Amino acid sequence: MNLTEQVLRVLDEALALHGRTAAFDRDTALLGALPELDSMAVLALITGLENHFGIAFSDEDLSGSVFATVGSLCDLVEQVLAQQDT
Amino acid sequence: MSQPPHALLPQAFFLKRSGAGQRFCLYHPPHPPQGSAPLGRVLYLHPFAEELNCTRRMAASQARALAQAGYAVLQIDLLGCGDSSGDFADATWDAWLDDAQAAHNWLAERAGGPLWLWGLRAGALLAAQLAGRLLEAGTRPSHLLLWQPATSGQQMLQQFLRLHAASQWLGNGSSDAMPPAQTLAQGQTVHIAGYALSAALAQGLAQARLTPPTAASTQPGRLVWLELSTATAPAISPAADKAAAAWRAAGWQVQTQAVAGPAFWQTVDGGDAPALVAATLAALATATPP
Repeated sequence: MNLTEQVLRVLDEALALHGRTAAFDRDTALLGALPELDSMAVLALITGLENHFGIAFSDEDLSGSVFATVGSLCDLVEQVLAQQDT
Repeated sequence: MSQPPHALLPQAFFLKRSGAGQRFCLYHPPHPPQGSAPLGRVLYLHPFAEELNCTRRMAASQARALAQAGYAVLQIDLLGCGDSSGDFADATWDAWLDDAQAAHNWLAERAGGPLWLWGLRAGALLAAQLAGRLLEAGTRPSHLLLWQPATSGQQMLQQFLRLHAASQWLGNGSSDAMPPAQTLAQGQTVHIAGYALSAALAQGLAQARLTPPTAASTQPGRLVWLELSTATAPAISPAADKAAAAWRAAGWQVQTQAVAGPAFWQTVDGGDAPALVAATLAALATATPP
């Protein structure tokens, strides 16, 4: 599974989307476009990503723009993973 | 889901708290299989803020399953939560602990057998502190059933405060306001995700840690620690391993287990975890000292 697929899996579970993420790609809009993504769900998504990838986001990492699209979310995960490896 | 027979429905009532209103409670009388004796009593302590709403279904389903297995189960909505008196802003950690103790006393008058304090998430922090209080009061030792326990109240509080940031990303609330942690530090109430959190409650929560009671016990109880995981091979978290070791060192009989299921406390409609209900029944069924 590549990183985007993994992020989509976490997203699907965190928001209980029941497989709807199968139709998502990097350009799919999230924040403001996905009704399930309320503030509780954003937290669930953050925790889900942290647990799945074994990473910890700092408050500085997180902002609204990170959750704009699937692509922007994947980029952050990739970036935090890379920081941890160094 | 099939409807439970009428006799198995819980009894709803208000527990009077002198000078502090009333608390909504649900009592599930024990319905042991014919020919067997009641197995004990269970007091349920719910999680924090919106997690209470997300977890009602799972708590109800476990409470019914326990009652049918022969346990007397009491659920209480703490001050300012659910259908109880007061606003969330009125709640303090100590008031919640007092509520938990009052609920324990009510249950102790009606049912016997081993006592399990069942806490979910932040409710686990309350359960551990109540166990300590009961030991200090010289009550018989209690046992702990912890579901996905928060091990640190401080971490729990930080996650809750992150909700404030999340709602700003969603375009709600002004961004020029003081950060909530700073507002709380000044002794003021913050409004996050529809909850008015007082500085007193934030402080009490932040100080709570999931550590064994300091009161000496001649007979420490059992601790059943259950976590959920969506991994193919569910495993207990490193944080849980570390915390459980401290309880073992204090003489508690600790059982940790990870079962397959979703993080149902995070979202409304977060799904069910039938494996958790089964694991709970199995863990409690193993021989328990009175």
